[in-house]
Amino acid sequence: MDFDPSPTQRALLDALGTLLSRSAGTDRSRELAERGAYDHVLEAVLRRDGFLDLFASEDAGPLEATLAVELIAAELGAVTPVPHLLVLPALGLEQPAGPVVASLDGPAGPVRYGAEATQLLLADGDRCVVAELDPAAAEPVPSAYGYPLARVVPAWHRELAAGTAGTLVNWWRVGASAEAVGMMRRALDLTVAYTKDRTVFRRSLGSFQALQHRLAELSVLVEGARWLVYEAAFNGAPAEASAVAAAHTMTALGRLTRETHQIMGAIGLTTEHDLHLWTLRLQAQRAELGGGQGPRRAAADARWAAAS
Amino acid sequence: MEFAWNEADAAFRRELVEFLDRELVGWERSETGLGSAVHSDFSRGFVRRLAERGWLTPHWPEEYGGGGQGAWQHFVLGEEMWKRGEPRGPQYMNVNWVGPSVIKYGTQEQKRRILPPITRGEVFWCQGFSEPEAGTDLAALKTRAVRDGDGYVLTGQKIWTSYANEADHCFLLARTGSAADGRDGISVFLLPLRTPGVEVRRISGFVGDHSFNEVFLTEARVGADCLLGEENKGWEIVRRTLAYERVGAPRYARAALVLDRMAERCRADGLLSDSGVRERFGQARALCEAARVLVYRVIDERAKAKEPSALANQARAAMVQAERAVGDLALDALGGEALVEGALGDAQFRNSLGAGIAAGSYEVQLNLISRLILKLPKE
Ligand SMILES: Cc1cc2nc3c(=O)[nH]c(=O)nc-3n(C[C@H](O)[C@H](O)[C@H](O)COP(=O)(O)OP(=O)(O)OC[C@H]3O[C@@H](n4cnc5c(N)ncnc54)[C@H](O)[C@@H]3O)c2cc1C
Repeated sequence: MDFDPSPTQRALLDALGTLLSRSAGTDRSRELAERGAYDHVLEAVLRRDGFLDLFASEDAGPLEATLAVELIAAELGAVTPVPHLLVLPALGLEQPAGPVVASLDGPAGPVRYGAEATQLLLADGDRCVVAELDPAAAEPVPSAYGYPLARVVPAWHRELAAGTAGTLVNWWRVGASAEAVGMMRRALDLTVAYTKDRTVFRRSLGSFQALQHRLAELSVLVEGARWLVYEAAFNGAPAEASAVAAAHTMTALGRLTRETHQIMGAIGLTTEHDLHLWTLRLQAQRAELGGGQGPRRAAADARWAAAS
Repeated sequence: MEFAWNEADAAFRRELVEFLDRELVGWERSETGLGSAVHSDFSRGFVRRLAERGWLTPHWPEEYGGGGQGAWQHFVLGEEMWKRGEPRGPQYMNVNWVGPSVIKYGTQEQKRRILPPITRGEVFWCQGFSEPEAGTDLAALKTRAVRDGDGYVLTGQKIWTSYANEADHCFLLARTGSAADGRDGISVFLLPLRTPGVEVRRISGFVGDHSFNEVFLTEARVGADCLLGEENKGWEIVRRTLAYERVGAPRYARAALVLDRMAERCRADGLLSDSGVRERFGQARALCEAARVLVYRVIDERAKAKEPSALANQARAAMVQAERAVGDLALDALGGEALVEGALGDAQFRNSLGAGIAAGSYEVQLNLISRLILKLPKE
């Protein structure tokens, strides 16, 4: 056991941080969101610098790939890091250029970057299905939640081997949770900093215990989610650990969305302020993970209902 | 104790619902655009038709163009309007608290000038309270009104002013005393927004049905006839105003309706047969109902002409809880479909982010409940 990042992990995150500070971030995110676009440039840079190969590389692995997913999401990179860095390598599939989307249970509602996606991963029974998509057939839908959304239309598909659905679902849970953790940490940091600066009743907003306790609780939830995600990734996304990490992430996400906006007051509800860049996008992760119900049930099933 | 509607109020609701079902065909489509020009145009027309029936200000005294009806009828009206996404637009504010404040504190001249256009449904008012450095801590407001000859010169800035982009007048707070006077140095001004020196800038927000604005005042000159009540006695007026505002918008009614529709959708999709989903719906429904009874308790007080009490704070907090529960359920139960702009649940979720901030924040309600109902000591 060691909760400190290794020198390799530190170097990796530093390098990725530098890359993202140039190729992602709030300004870039706003600009792309305006056009409803996927960031092909960022994807190319990540590919060029080997970040899409972390999962199976010799000096890194799934945990490092997960840390990278977290950071890309925190920096609002407009790509799909979950399939590219985690799910496709876990399934032993090539990573196509452009967004890849997934549907974990049932037919896909609108998905992130669906209008530009060329591949859809579906869990069908115990098999993972890979469907090719025709971007021209996708139906974009308007959304206020930051990501460009579209309904996708699968063209032809192939089924992978039995047991692959588990790999898809488990790694997607870990990956989407890692994204959410990265975004929640930013939203929380922003809110905490704001409460220190904002003066009400001649004192700092953050000096009121009623708010301190709520912020402190958020930190407990977010840190719990964060370390569960890392541990699950380290262990190769076992069903139970992945479900538990996603379930806890969803609990944290619901609370964090409410509390950061409540504590920030009206300014946090404007598009001029940055908070919504993370909190609104988080709702897409929430939807993708079935509002928490899917992972919660899976966690209970994995632990207590396996025999039934 | 008695929980039945009397025949007059029940009949009023029946008649009103019939009228609304007829008048509001096709209205729902524009509901997310509250505060937009389309919405405002609709409201101006719709409210006149309400006014013709005496249903715009039924609870005002007859001498001021009201119908002399009771608090319950006024409330039935509010409930049915909010349920439908408030087709009166900002005019619920005129009706709920702008007019009543003028009736209570205005001069004869002000009443003659201000009330008739409200009862006829001809004007929009907005609320100029908040400032960048004065939200929850409203008494920290800095906008100044300096006496000059027979009028005042206003300088400062307001923010978050809903509907200022559409409104004709602003119910504005400004400091006439010194900053050290705190609450005791504030006055209310009835400001025509067309006054030179008044500039409105829109702020882009993402709360479903709201458009925010900033109002900049640069040596805007108004006559003394714009002062409401006495100089430096504005806080008392604000206190009353806020008491009316807190439960003036029965937002649970909207949440309850959205919840019903979500349940219909989930039933059609087969999701409601899932016990976990049903449980969440039951919980949200109970929160809406709790908000409703707590609001009714406040209306009962009002109907008996009692002083506004902290029961309004409890009711307001309960409404926030209900709105949030329905908003969260929208995302959890409808998933990606709720993220589509204008889809069922989308507006509910985004509105619910502001529910605990507008019209007296959730924390302010909790502080007042602690102090006034639980009698806990100050922090
Ligand atoms: C949808 C919407 C519409 C609005 N419309 C109008 C309008 O038409 N006219 C107008 O004048 N204003 C309007 N407002 C502004 C609203 O009144 C303010 O946003 C509100 O008073 C809170 O002020 P603030 O945003 O500056 O938050 P702050 O005062 O900075 O407070 C931030 C958070 O801290 C909490 N807090 C503050 N003090 C304490 C304490 N002592 N203990 C615990 N918690 C505390 C608050 O409750 C809040 O959650 C609107 C706001 C919204 C969201």
